[in-house]
Amino acid sequence: MQAHGIGVQLPSGFEGRIFKRQGSGPELPCTVAHFATFGLPDEVGDFGGGAVQLMGDTDVFASLFEYGPDSVGARLFARQGMPRELSTGDFKPYVLRRGMPGQSGTQWFFTEAGRPFTLYVVLGSHARRTSLVPRANALLAQVSVGPAPLAAPVGAPWN
Amino acid sequence: MVALVVVLALVVVLLAVLVAGLLRSHADILKALHDLGVGVGEPSDLPGHDHGDASRPVAVPLTMGPSLPPDRDATSAPTIAGVTPGGDALAVAPAGSGGLTLLAFLSTGCASCAGFWEAFRDPDGLALPGGTRLVVVTKGPDREIPGEVAGLASPGLAVVMSSDAWTDYEVPGSPFFVLVDGASGRRIGEGVANHFRQVAELVRRAEVDATSFAAGARADRGIGLDGPARESDNDGELRAAGILPGDPSLYPTSLEDLYGPPDARMPATDRHVRRAG
Repeated sequence: MQAHGIGVQLPSGFEGRIFKRQGSGPELPCTVAHFATFGLPDEVGDFGGGAVQLMGDTDVFASLFEYGPDSVGARLFARQGMPRELSTGDFKPYVLRRGMPGQSGTQWFFTEAGRPFTLYVVLGSHARRTSLVPRANALLAQVSVGPAPLAAPVGAPWN
Repeated sequence: MVALVVVLALVVVLLAVLVAGLLRSHADILKALHDLGVGVGEPSDLPGHDHGDASRPVAVPLTMGPSLPPDRDATSAPTIAGVTPGGDALAVAPAGSGGLTLLAFLSTGCASCAGFWEAFRDPDGLALPGGTRLVVVTKGPDREIPGEVAGLASPGLAVVMSSDAWTDYEVPGSPFFVLVDGASGRRIGEGVANHFRQVAELVRRAEVDATSFAAGARADRGIGLDGPARESDNDGELRAAGILPGDPSLYPTSLEDLYGPPDARMPATDRHVRRAG
């Protein structure tokens, strides 16, 4: 699957969605990608709100969220390239946007292809992190980030 | 007079050429048929032909398309990956969702699909069992106009545009529905319907069925098996029931073999009354 400059060859058992979150007011639309080993509901918050509550003990959820161009060059995004080999030690029960009992998460800020992102990964069970982290890594190894696509021209193609 | 003879001669020559061409064409067809093993006559002028074993099977070159991956069979439920009418990417894995997923293969052009698009505008009125996920699958942007799909799809309805999914699920045409049990990761029902209430009723029955299986009513049944594996599973069930190869019950020759002697059969009215009672 590929959209908005993000592509992924999903490992078996994963499903995903890559979309533009429409900004409100002066906010710019931002690209968000969600990947999960369970059925993603129609409405999922940028960092898994509405989805992580549905996770089972053997599930993995990952969110890739792109920040605006004004974040390019900021210290927070100094790391170049998305982490693709996480370790069990990277996951902490307190690194969760929504404190779900038993779960654990990890969050990384980085820049890839000139685009500032945060990667947020949640494990359904911290106790099972030894078996779940390889599944997350199998997903991350398949994710590719390219330059932001140019905006589509306005008007019909024959104009 | 001379001119007439010349014209007639030309006509005869022309006809001779025509007949020769027809005979040549006929001979080519006979030769091709013989090469395929269904020849007639004796094309004895063909060297290397063995006329003594005409019943021997002849290999006929046949292209069946690419073979399926080893993990795919008639009931597997592969991930559906495509784009949404808005241009986002969407991949749905019905086999990993846990509950039931109803895949509705629709198109924008078919008249029968219009009623389903309309029905999906009122999700509460669909009467699907709780927890059932509805996903509409249209052909990809190469075959459907995203704007038309977007115009038919109600907000909040999950729509994937993927021509590959139609191939993966062997969809014969639209509308077509496939029900996937996420727990087993298998297709447990598929077919066509005229009205959505028919589909909802089938989903409801399948849910009851799935619950029975989950409760272990027939936990040892080989659900989702295909080909030799299914045949082997069937053989196992027959053996467990004491029906071994060669058993006369496997070869019924009359109605009595199937239903017993006529006097032992229960009248239909009796059956109805007893079942009702």
